[in-house]
Amino acid sequence: MVDLAATSLHLLHQAFFGAVAAGGFGVLFNFGRRCLSWAIGFGAVALTVRTLALDAQWSLEAASFAAAFVTGALALVFRDRLGAAMETIALAGCIPMIPGAFFAHALLGFFALTAPDVPDLQATVFQSMQAFLRVVFTLGAIGAGLVVPGHLFRIGRS
Amino acid sequence: MSDETEASDPVVRRHRDLERIANVALRAGRISMESGANASATRSVTAAVARGLGAEDVALRLGYASLAITVAGGGNSITRMSGVGRLGVDQRRDTEIRRLAERIEKGGATDVQTVQGELDRILRETPRHPEWLVAFATGLACAAFGRLLGVDWAAFVPVLLAGALGQALRHRLLSRGANLFVAVGIVAFVAAGLGGLGALALRSASVGMAMMASTLLLVPGVPATNAQTDIMDGFPTLGSARAVWVVMVMVFVATGFWLARAALGGFL
Repeated sequence: MVDLAATSLHLLHQAFFGAVAAGGFGVLFNFGRRCLSWAIGFGAVALTVRTLALDAQWSLEAASFAAAFVTGALALVFRDRLGAAMETIALAGCIPMIPGAFFAHALLGFFALTAPDVPDLQATVFQSMQAFLRVVFTLGAIGAGLVVPGHLFRIGRS
Repeated sequence: MSDETEASDPVVRRHRDLERIANVALRAGRISMESGANASATRSVTAAVARGLGAEDVALRLGYASLAITVAGGGNSITRMSGVGRLGVDQRRDTEIRRLAERIEKGGATDVQTVQGELDRILRETPRHPEWLVAFATGLACAAFGRLLGVDWAAFVPVLLAGALGQALRHRLLSRGANLFVAVGIVAFVAAGLGGLGALALRSASVGMAMMASTLLLVPGVPATNAQTDIMDGFPTLGSARAVWVVMVMVFVATGFWLARAALGGFL
């Protein structure tokens, strides 16, 4: 029971802050009010799906793909209401999943390799490469997850 | 060739018409791209405008800093190129351009002058959020990002303020014509430094992560995903150029962050 409450609270936390982050970036990207509310909703959905998938022991990359796929598919479902802004709104919902911190970790690790004395060379190289690869795969997963529903939809229609 | 001959020569006249169509279509495409549209959307907008104005065939080449179009009609064709300015993200302007292109394609505006007027109106009248609201919202987004990354509550407000001040600084630097990458480095240094100092002052247990979260406003999320969708949609040249741009931005973010960490080294 305590576990369920803690899991639900964690899920709510992630969904809420995913929504806030998507909304904040929506303002930065000059979204109008209506689009902003959609972006906030999609941010919450994306983070909910990703958190559920991570809790189910999926990798970050697979969880990000699932979240982006669901967001892209939802945008397609509501395409008549979203109109021309459909793709941008779906993308804004996925912005909180961009692995910026991993990217910075990777680059800082590479910077550290330029020091005259690197304390733990192998570990630094390994961790930096790992962070960099995770960035590449996670970005790839988000991009693919957003695009694939649209392509499947077009195949289904033709 | 005299003006009189030019005016009566149907080939020259047709070329003049095609040139006007090419120029206005390129302008629509440029605005779309500068507003954050991916290659596929930019191509759709440009082609819709050209076709709606009477071009029978349209071919387009999209580069990172230029667009080239060939429009054909009545057995003639013409190729024109246009430069593209700094690529930003402006969803309302992007949506307006797409709506206009749809309208033109469906026959809603059939002369070049009207379309040029509509483009002028979009550039002039598309509303923007006030600067203070953008700064606050960006700071809030950084603080929310921070929570998603595990930053504790003590560092929430410092990250919010550092992100907001970072965004205000970025706006000032870019509106004064600063080089984008230099501006990114400066903003990363200031935002990470302020976020770190604030987190330290409030005895946060996640100072390093708070510094990182304060710089997340600089992570180019839209260009990063556009890079991939462009490649997937069959525009590898533009997609690769965007990817290189994203890597360069992140190098400058990391440099600013690294300098801030070095400056705060004694306190961390």
